[in-house]
Amino acid sequence: MGPWGFVFLAYGIVWAVVLVYLLFLKHRLSQVATELERQRTSEDAASRPRG
Amino acid sequence: MAQIEQKGLGRRILGGLALLFVLLGLYVALVQAPPDAYQGEVQRIMYLHIPSILVAYLSFFIVFVGSCLFLWKREKRDDTLAYAAAETGVLFTGLTIVEGSIWGRPTWGVWWTWDARLTLTAILFLIFVSYLMLRSLIEDEERGALCGAVLGIIGFLDIPLIHMSVYWWRTLHQPPSILRPDKAPWENIHPSMLLALAINLVAFALLYFYLLSLRFRLGEMREELKRIKLYGGP
Repeated sequence: MGPWGFVFLAYGIVWAVVLVYLLFLKHRLSQVATELERQRTSEDAASRPRG
Repeated sequence: MAQIEQKGLGRRILGGLALLFVLLGLYVALVQAPPDAYQGEVQRIMYLHIPSILVAYLSFFIVFVGSCLFLWKREKRDDTLAYAAAETGVLFTGLTIVEGSIWGRPTWGVWWTWDARLTLTAILFLIFVSYLMLRSLIEDEERGALCGAVLGIIGFLDIPLIHMSVYWWRTLHQPPSILRPDKAPWENIHPSMLLALAINLVAFALLYFYLLSLRFRLGEMREELKRIKLYGGP
């Protein structure tokens, strides 16, 4: 591998890993946000007076 | 509600700035900066390697501060911050080891050697991987936070050892060549290289704080979810 090969390998791995981590983080955030919204909705429905 | 929206907007601005500086950093590191007189083009890995280890150190310093505060005040928020910083710190330490390995192959002739600085950095990585495993394995939240805080403080103590290792032992890894006590940084490196390094440091710092803010938000939301499930309200 030539010198540029090592440079692109390093840059490629770093930015690919950061991108995957960012997407993984966003996915976890959206999962928890959905669950939180669902819980809040069910709490609201339970606390509303019936009749 | 307005405060949450403001925080969300601040996070988006931080993310945008990080992206801008990352692109600028890539341009100056790969196009504008000249090749090194001795190492040639592979020296460009330095613009990744130094910023990533510095943000990893910063991250473990945040773990250290958050852990100390948690042990002192027992506020969940400090533990959430320490946990978030440990995860992002592991990411950047892992990347530092990979970049160093790729840089080591053409310059030292090996992908890995049991040099003092490399070994201590690998130990730092393993300590904080253990921290993350510990946090996910202990079911009792309070106990997990306490054990994590103790491990976070002990783990941080490895950083001064990593820094001093190049002075205390005969190592393959060179001592600091830019931040030296006897010379100003601009006397040790060409200004265009110093500028490229500075831009990449800013880019990594912005990216780090963006990722940390997202991870911290995730921790806060999980706490809120637990509260609702336990007590049925915020």
